Amino acid sequence: MSEVFSIKRFLLLFKKIIAERPTQTIGVSALLLVLSFILYVAAKTIAGFGPAQNLTFIWGLAGGAFFLSSFMFGYFNTNASGSSYLTLPASFLEKWLCGILMAGILYPLIFLFFFHTMDAAFVTAYHNGLDKASLFYKQQYESVYNFDLNGIIAWKVYALFLQLTGVMLTGGLYFNKIPFIKTGLAICIIVLVIFGVNWLIANAFFSNVNDAGPYDHVTLSVGKQTGTLILPTNLENFFHITIAFIIPVILWFLPLLRLREKEF
Amino acid sequence: MIEIKNLSFGYTRKKPLYKDLNLKLPVGSIYGLLGKNGAGKSTLLKNFTGLLFPTKGELMVNGFIPKKRLPSFLQTIYFIPEEVYVPSLTINGYKKLFAPFYPLFNEEQFYNYLDVLDVQDKGKLKTFSFGQQKKFIIAFALACNTKILLLDEPTNGLDIPSKIKFRKLIASVFTEDKMIFISTHQIRDLDNLIDHVIIVDNGELLLQASTAEITQKLSFKIVDTIADENEILYAEPSLKGSAVVVENTTGEDSKINLEYLFNAITGNPAKAKSIFHKN
Repeated sequence: MSEVFSIKRFLLLFKKIIAERPTQTIGVSALLLVLSFILYVAAKTIAGFGPAQNLTFIWGLAGGAFFLSSFMFGYFNTNASGSSYLTLPASFLEKWLCGILMAGILYPLIFLFFFHTMDAAFVTAYHNGLDKASLFYKQQYESVYNFDLNGIIAWKVYALFLQLTGVMLTGGLYFNKIPFIKTGLAICIIVLVIFGVNWLIANAFFSNVNDAGPYDHVTLSVGKQTGTLILPTNLENFFHITIAFIIPVILWFLPLLRLREKEF
Repeated sequence: MIEIKNLSFGYTRKKPLYKDLNLKLPVGSIYGLLGKNGAGKSTLLKNFTGLLFPTKGELMVNGFIPKKRLPSFLQTIYFIPEEVYVPSLTINGYKKLFAPFYPLFNEEQFYNYLDVLDVQDKGKLKTFSFGQQKKFIIAFALACNTKILLLDEPTNGLDIPSKIKFRKLIASVFTEDKMIFISTHQIRDLDNLIDHVIIVDNGELLLQASTAEITQKLSFKIVDTIADENEILYAEPSLKGSAVVVENTTGEDSKINLEYLFNAITGNPAKAKSIFHKN
């Protein structure tokens, strides 16, 4: 018997996790899709297609996966369930993979399919509802198009999804109780500290700082004008790659180590 | 087999709960781990299952290092904590999802144990009373046929008839290739069940002996008057005089009273040690 990974044991574990906690897995996923639909419709009505697509995509994918991830290792709120989870005869790799599969692979795939279908349906309905005889038909038709899942915004959201899911999966194993709230607070504190320290450092070097983006730029007031200092290209690329890929990879693998080392 | 060599454990570095603990526990016995509240009984069981890691020393359980929590190790040990976890499933649903992880699980035994413990299939486990949930988990754990079964305060929450059924069931399922380890502060619940006693207090192992050895070394009796207080390990007034625990110097046979034994050992550990270390 393999101590690291067995496909039979993994499938048994995955089935067990879904069946013993259907509300926290299937229920939450379904709820997130419903909320995404409501958000899309509401935002479309209020602000139009563009904002509705962007807002729903960000909140549904990054926000939804963040929320769902908080349940993946949420066994440690009681002594009984935590003990039962850790002493179940499955490897820590299999336990980690189950969390990753649900929140990091299945949910995003389902969401992308759902979002694309929903978006296409609304956009098609809009196009079909236009008066082809109207003078503005072409202009109206071209003002609304399907959200580009391979566009710049989409890729920024994918990076955000990787970061938030990684943070939450890790947080779920560090905070035994109410991990969603505690991890959310931890993120806020870290972001505030990074921005605060960055602002202080920028002010230590310059007396006329307008804005300071961590690992990105500093905007200075020079007379009545403003000027922006940006990082050299190689440094900028390094920080962007680190933030978008290297940190998420670390955050996604941290739960694996934590599962192995967790005492309860 | 559980083997502990110079084990130290503490929740904080400055205040170790166990320091240089040594134990060797072979299979084929029902061990009773006795200690006051906060003595570290549950902590020791959690070290055995790999839920907590020793800060120093060696710990081997069934030939495995528990902290690695390897699946093949976890298949040989079942830990029932004081408060049990049951998901929102029926008895059958629970069996279907959890039993495949234990290769020696026996379905026939499982339903038989449920019957013996009077656990009826009445919908979702979550709706069962605490005592019923506990009995359900005990039945499941026994049916898993793991080499080692660790029970932390198993009789907490059980009514009197259930406690009797529990004792009978444990005694009837026990075989020489297994080890059952029961931690409790409800000492009377272990009467006539255990064949080895382990007493811990303040992180120290005060006693590890078989019941046969205990009756050979100590005598439990009722006396009218206490002649020499220095000979007494423990005394308690009773209806017919005084119940005492003294060193057994005459080889007489007496029935162990676990409560008196516990008080004798924790109240006078140095004297008890000297008695048990005599050849």
